[in-house]
Amino acid sequence: MATPQSVEDLGPGDHACLTFSDPEERLDILAAFVRAGLDQGHKVLCFTDSVPPDRLPVELETRAVSALDAIARGQLSVEGSDGTWLADGGPSARRMVDLLVRQLELAARQGYPVLRMTADMCWASRPVIGTDQLLAFESAVDALFSDGRLSAICQYDRDSFDAVTLAFAAAAHTRAVAGTVYHDDPLLRICRQHSPPGIRVAGEIDFTRAEPLTQAISEALRLDRDIHVNLVQLRYIDAACVSIIRQAAASLPPNRNMIVSCRGLVHEMFRLLGTTDADALRVQMAHGQP
Amino acid sequence: MASRDARSNGGRGGTSGPDEIALEQHFDRDDLYALRAAVAAHAAHLGAPPERVAHVVIVASELASNAVRHGGGGGRLRLWRTDGRVCCEVRDAGPGLADPGAGTVPPSTLAPGGRGLWIVRRLATDVRIESGGYGTQVTAVLPLDPA
Repeated sequence: MATPQSVEDLGPGDHACLTFSDPEERLDILAAFVRAGLDQGHKVLCFTDSVPPDRLPVELETRAVSALDAIARGQLSVEGSDGTWLADGGPSARRMVDLLVRQLELAARQGYPVLRMTADMCWASRPVIGTDQLLAFESAVDALFSDGRLSAICQYDRDSFDAVTLAFAAAAHTRAVAGTVYHDDPLLRICRQHSPPGIRVAGEIDFTRAEPLTQAISEALRLDRDIHVNLVQLRYIDAACVSIIRQAAASLPPNRNMIVSCRGLVHEMFRLLGTTDADALRVQMAHGQP
Repeated sequence: MASRDARSNGGRGGTSGPDEIALEQHFDRDDLYALRAAVAAHAAHLGAPPERVAHVVIVASELASNAVRHGGGGGRLRLWRTDGRVCCEVRDAGPGLADPGAGTVPPSTLAPGGRGLWIVRRLATDVRIESGGYGTQVTAVLPLDPA
């Protein structure tokens, strides 16, 4: 397995393994993969399991992917694992590979040069289903990538699989994809957000963690035109850290913006400290469950 | 690790201090998370509705941050209820504030500091700052009724 890469570096011919433990990170990387595929005129196929098929398009839409339009014009397809490769009894590696071959042929007939596929593999961890067919599939499917018309991310939830299966799955892929994490401890996680581009901060943050916040924002300032600062899962922020975000927004030229999404106490802190002297800063109240 | 001393009956009597301390906790730079959790729990227990709990946590945390950064690296926080209000007192070993009016004007975006006390003054109905040989003590009083 190669060194983990950013999702932006994946292209046709890549068979990548995403192991994750943070559901937000999984959906973010998935959204970036789907969005890049739609932008490049690829056919995109999502097999979903832990997120229901009618819910995934909504999750993609909230992450700046025009999923509903893409579904309407037939470029994006979202399917539950149960209705496809798990249909007609237990899973078989052969049937899964056949399904992908058919999808590749269909995409070609529809005029798409590349098929992007992503699959949530958590179904394979259920007690009634052995992981043997999953591992057989991951090995057998490799041949389909050789002509550069298929690109795939297989998603493995670290909490659902044992270490031996994860190690085998990782070895069966030519690439590994991972999020960029600036800080991770039980109280705070700061990582790069791919779609919409920017950063995501979860937990609690105060001046003692100003350094990784500054680092993450500096990188976003360098990489992204408009910077999305996702604080929806942040429960506490102090004045010093609000200040770091405001100063970064104030440094932006007139044609760039910073969009902060937050709720509760964090939204209150931005309200109390004011945003009037940073024209580029937009603070949005997030509703519903994070 | 923070040492915590929740007493049902103790502290100082008289008019200037609390009759009953809900929370007394010493803290340093590494204890701020635990301090916020304790303040949130006790503010709710004292009868503060959720928005007020958030305000008490903000005030306590900003005062504690000031103590860590400018008051010798740590201090002691006490929380108590009096006359339908909640008092948050932070004492540290620092030299005190050079400007007694600190935090009374909005800080500019580019100013390096001074926002903590500005926030405290916005949320509290009364802020008392006392400095002496022991260090500095700031007491903020917040209403308990819904915001």
